[in-house]
Amino acid sequence: MTTVKKTILAAILAWGACVAFAQAPATPAAPPPAPKAIMDTDLKSVDTPKADDRLKGDPGGTMTGTVADVAVGDAKKGLTVADVLNQVGQNKVAINFIWTLVTGFLVMFMQAGFAIVETGLCRAKNANHTMMMNFMVYGVGMLAYYLIGFAIQMGGVGGNGNLGGVNPLNTEWSINLFGKSFGLFGQHGLFLTQGGTYDVGVMVLFLFQMVFMDTALTIVTGTCAERWKYAAFIVASFIMGAFTYPLFANWAWGNGWLANLGANFGLGKGYADFAGSGVVHAVGGLTALAGGIIIGPRLGKYTREGKPNAIIGHDIVIVLTGCFILAFGWFGFNPGSTLGASGNGNLRIGSIAVNTMLAGMTGGFGAMFYMWLRYGKPDASMSGNGLLAGLVAITAPSGFVDTIGASIIGLIAGVLVCLSVEFVDKVMKVDDPVGAVSVHGTNGLWGVLSVGLFADGKSNYGGSWNGVNGSVTGLFYGDASQLVAQLIGIVTLIGFVFTFSFVIFWIVDKVVGHRVSAKAELEGLDLPEMGQLGYPEFELKARPVGANA
Amino acid sequence: MALAGVVITFLGFLISVMSLGMTSSVGGRMVMVLIGIAVSLVGIIGVINRAFLKNAIWRK
Repeated sequence: MTTVKKTILAAILAWGACVAFAQAPATPAAPPPAPKAIMDTDLKSVDTPKADDRLKGDPGGTMTGTVADVAVGDAKKGLTVADVLNQVGQNKVAINFIWTLVTGFLVMFMQAGFAIVETGLCRAKNANHTMMMNFMVYGVGMLAYYLIGFAIQMGGVGGNGNLGGVNPLNTEWSINLFGKSFGLFGQHGLFLTQGGTYDVGVMVLFLFQMVFMDTALTIVTGTCAERWKYAAFIVASFIMGAFTYPLFANWAWGNGWLANLGANFGLGKGYADFAGSGVVHAVGGLTALAGGIIIGPRLGKYTREGKPNAIIGHDIVIVLTGCFILAFGWFGFNPGSTLGASGNGNLRIGSIAVNTMLAGMTGGFGAMFYMWLRYGKPDASMSGNGLLAGLVAITAPSGFVDTIGASIIGLIAGVLVCLSVEFVDKVMKVDDPVGAVSVHGTNGLWGVLSVGLFADGKSNYGGSWNGVNGSVTGLFYGDASQLVAQLIGIVTLIGFVFTFSFVIFWIVDKVVGHRVSAKAELEGLDLPEMGQLGYPEFELKARPVGANA
Repeated sequence: MALAGVVITFLGFLISVMSLGMTSSVGGRMVMVLIGIAVSLVGIIGVINRAFLKNAIWRK
């Protein structure tokens, strides 16, 4: 027998043995040992770092953060199982507190982005006035929200497991309609003390929601810039922070009637707006539209025949820098809206962050290529607005869609913002120096709608959304009723929020007056309204309106 | 004129909310809500804005 034959025979025998062994009945495995309960006494035997070793320092980090660091409730009893479980619970809430606070700090920094975007898109003669509106809207809005707004928005939210309960926020004022309860506004939380709201979880929730509210307020200053009387700005902003924003936010996020469209009327999981395309951006954009209609266009914006003139901003460098700051802050806006990183499906924050950056990217591309193809140049300010439009649009669906959906939503937003700017400018003849109505209003509504189309039903935030079991699922994934809930949110924004804002702006116009004098507007608002030039050492030269050079 | 626009805009909202009580079918509600959106947009763009454009500063 040759060597080759011997090798083949050995291989066949080995294969046969393997098959026979594999088909032989397996020996029954021993039953797993019964789980053993951990008793307090077991914890006594856990090794702790020796005191002498700790005195030498811990360069490797192996002795820091051990059983010795678990807080003991009763020193006489020593460490107990209850102590360990309490520490686990506190660690979860601590992670969520830190997550929510830090992302809230990122959102707060967006105010700086808005400030320089708006100022850069306005003329140098109004730089101080535009910056001051963006600077003080932070304080004015915060005061209104602290005194009144937060209680209206969140006073009846009825608990949040990520933040340890926020149990005192449990009183929603409702009416009965069609046999169902319609929550209209909360009643606990005035001054962050009334109704037992002096509570650590409530404080975290307030900080996060406050910076969101301020984002909505600062949208209006962009549309009304370069002709808005400073006193009127203060009054209108206070009312918006106290009532306009909190009302709609209550309906969407504070256990109000929109959130309960699923539980009460079987419409999907109720109105779903993950981080506020509708609550923040559409509210801001539609209020800006109401303000823009009432205050009227800047002098020179339109010819006597109604033809629009381009009024170029003074610094595209700070405009695009501001867009980057806003894109950075959006990583707080959307992922932070989980209100936690631990438990309840909150690890979805990875997906939310990636969706956010992808939609911003496709939004920037959409606007840039649209302008390039239509006008021959990749317009810088519209590319920036495209990025922001993509971010605005993905804000509502960021927690419910996959990356392909996010990219499509952003791309559509980038083109939509260009079309909307043209419509507002040429057809409606509403003067919007920064394009805020289109970026935030139009694309905020698009973001709300896109949830009802693109939500893929894969998210799982503790097994339910708005009190309805299951995941938010849009029309393209089989649930048409979610789209109806989103459309009801849209009509509430257009039909109620716009109307409410319009009436408020109209009253302020009659009482305070929105518009500065023609003389002040032509000189620039810095001296007449603020008493100081934004750029005192620059020689400001009058440039014919419409000139691009 | 602007006041009529405000009423029409708000009417669109009311039409949509009424859909919740008038029908339980998804299709029926969707049609009513879309009508409500259209009415509200007519109120804003077609009535309120047009009323303000009649006295626009650039016409003077």
